[in-house]
Amino acid sequence: MTMSNNQREVQAAGRRRALQAIGAGGALSIIPGWVSLASAQPLERLRIRIGADISILDPARIFQVENQSVASNIYNGLVKYDAASNKIVPDLAASWTVSPDAKAYTFKLREGVAWHKNFGALSSDDVKFSFERVLDPKTGSAYRGQIADIVQAIETPDAHTVRFVLTASNAEFLHKVTAFNHGWIVSRKAVTELGDKYNLNPIGTGPFVFAQWVPGSEVRLSANPKYFEGAPKVQEIVLRLIKDETAAAIALEKREIDVFFALQQPEVIERLRRTKGVKVLERPASSTLNLVLNTSIKPLDDVRVRRAIAHAINRKALIDGFFRGTKFEANTVFTSAFEDNTDDVPKYAYDPGRARALLKEAGVSNLRFEITTVGLSPYDKLVVPIANDLMQVGIQAKVRVLERGAYQQARSSGNVQSCVTSVVGPPDPSAPLVTLFARKSFPPGLNSARYDGVEDLLKHVASELDAGKRKELYAAILRKTATDLPLIPLYADRLFMAHSDTVQGLVQNSMFTVQGYPVSLRSA
Amino acid sequence: MSRHLARSLAQLLLTLAGVVTVAFFLMRAIPGDPALYMLGDYATADAVAVLRAKLGLDLPILQQYLLFMQHALTGDLGTSVVTGQPAMTEIASSVPWSLALAVSGMGIAIAIGVPLGIVSASRHGSWIDRAVMVGALLGISFPVFWIGLVAILGLAHKAGLFPTLGASSEPGLWTSLHHLALPAIVLGLSVAAYIARLTRSAMLEVLGQDFIRVARAMGVSEHRILYRLALRNALVPILAVISVTFAWSLGNAILIEVVFSRPGLGSTIMKAVLARDYQLVQAGLLVLAGAVVFVNTTFNILYGVIDPRLRTR
Repeated sequence: MTMSNNQREVQAAGRRRALQAIGAGGALSIIPGWVSLASAQPLERLRIRIGADISILDPARIFQVENQSVASNIYNGLVKYDAASNKIVPDLAASWTVSPDAKAYTFKLREGVAWHKNFGALSSDDVKFSFERVLDPKTGSAYRGQIADIVQAIETPDAHTVRFVLTASNAEFLHKVTAFNHGWIVSRKAVTELGDKYNLNPIGTGPFVFAQWVPGSEVRLSANPKYFEGAPKVQEIVLRLIKDETAAAIALEKREIDVFFALQQPEVIERLRRTKGVKVLERPASSTLNLVLNTSIKPLDDVRVRRAIAHAINRKALIDGFFRGTKFEANTVFTSAFEDNTDDVPKYAYDPGRARALLKEAGVSNLRFEITTVGLSPYDKLVVPIANDLMQVGIQAKVRVLERGAYQQARSSGNVQSCVTSVVGPPDPSAPLVTLFARKSFPPGLNSARYDGVEDLLKHVASELDAGKRKELYAAILRKTATDLPLIPLYADRLFMAHSDTVQGLVQNSMFTVQGYPVSLRSA
Repeated sequence: MSRHLARSLAQLLLTLAGVVTVAFFLMRAIPGDPALYMLGDYATADAVAVLRAKLGLDLPILQQYLLFMQHALTGDLGTSVVTGQPAMTEIASSVPWSLALAVSGMGIAIAIGVPLGIVSASRHGSWIDRAVMVGALLGISFPVFWIGLVAILGLAHKAGLFPTLGASSEPGLWTSLHHLALPAIVLGLSVAAYIARLTRSAMLEVLGQDFIRVARAMGVSEHRILYRLALRNALVPILAVISVTFAWSLGNAILIEVVFSRPGLGSTIMKAVLARDYQLVQAGLLVLAGAVVFVNTTFNILYGVIDPRLRTR
């Protein structure tokens, strides 16, 4: 760990003050001395609360928002989503060309981009290495399936040009090489030399350099003065692990942290909205929470039963009451974060009478219905009002709450009648659709509905080159899935983040990560 | 003494082997899979199989166990399946945090609990006795996370005396102590309640014995009766409760660690269990069991120092 001179001076001043206090007035004045020490905070350090510890920073295997948040400050992709608009903009690639048949994508890399910690200059070989590593089954990458069927070859005509040759026309390929998960580019030299140690010693090209991990406590990133878009305005980011949201809110109010990332509890959101000197940001997420119905288990194979369940659940009351309005209503698995979302789909309003009629029509009485859910807030609690709604229409609803590992095991077995599932990720339209509705995502994947009604449409949409027609195809998929109803979207998620008024320029993205690059700090 | 030590050492090794074995099979018996945990939303049948093979989880369990024990005997407890780091590295980094909290918390608990127990017993039935016992009852009854949150709200937020976060990696002894103070006080208070109650009842039992009555009849001063005769005899049960609560606070301080956002052995093991990070759980429990045995052995020796009657056993 290196400290700037400035920091050292501030700390030394704090110590001097504490010592003077002890000398001056005995025991009681020690306390004010301590307090001034605690609030001695160099301006250029950005302190961000995270809710869970980091574990994997290797882009091929990365998962969880905390890891992704750290990685998004360290790494770059060929292209990236603009944080505010979700438009795809250049990152490491200064420009790119797409062949007329959309089967070859050629990227021109920026010149003079350097890897952190003296690992040399970025070249097209690093890009090739990054993706081939994900494609290699031996790497054990979760994201292999995202590109394995799409990419045929990766060519490097020169040190600053990389060409992806695809197996078929694909108009949406840029989404697969954006700066997120496997799209983050790694250095061949660093990965090879560091071996097993690489995972927690990541080397990137981004605005911040990984400095230190204190397990169970914090992660430190230091500014990269040589960053190709200019040095960051803060010198250091400290991501501080604070599990309890109430404790994090108090820490923000006391200015022990600057940014409250992953703010979720409705009561804490309300509290911080009332707090002076704190700003609460919010933005529609790119994920919905869904009640997945296993269409391979009777009588859920009957669409009338699935529709009856949808009519029986009072989703508006769930959002307004349980979540105090901190979520949005949803009719499809796309949220407003997706350009291709449509509202022109069949909707299932809360109508217990209709639900009873549909059950009767299907000849189903005394349906035993078990919802399996994970023992994490709010998923363990939100199913209770849902089960209660179902009881009102004569369905014998039961809730089974499992610890996370057991839940994953149960869900991946494919034998649960129904479960709750959310796909958190980048605004890549194929991500939720393929993950939830494609045959290749059958258990252990997330398609625990075992639904394959849009297989053909999913194939067509990627290869359709006309943007207007593609939008129509997405709409067709959303309509078909809303008609067949293998899953019921319960709500569209909404992301909250809070920061103190000393933080300037923070942009909230829809991907559930937090980036320090645009941020500057001013004194309170 | 050397025979005693040899026996203690053998006992230590046996306990550790037992703990690791139980942890090994228990972790594999509960549902869940580190491969599923790591692959998350993108788990496909292929990816799960590949990752399981990579982590060595596709081998028969008995073979996995033998491999693990073989490595463990050479001091290698394996690498965390999630981070790929040596399991002992992460565990070792959380030990100092736990130790600092447990030692300071126990220091506070003893400093408060023992004197209160003595005072309470010596004035048996008085208002002081009742006040101490009601206070101790409250201390035992309120869950430690609640006391922690109230302390944060009152002492950190409203009064501004302490930081909200119970840990800081900033250099400087003052900073560390200042951050440690509140969690240590909360742990100390909750343990002090137990110690006060136990000290009181141990003292009362000794004070009711014949030799005390004889000493009183012979005109020995009350001060001497209380501190030389009664306390020394009551010390063995008091030490016993201290040794038990010390071991308890090492691992079970999870709630305090969560409320005060402190790293520590308890939360590291908890995290590892949730991620099915087998190696990390095993290494953590090994250290925890070692600490418990070490503390118990130390106190066993102390009992002998205090009470010569226990030396021959």
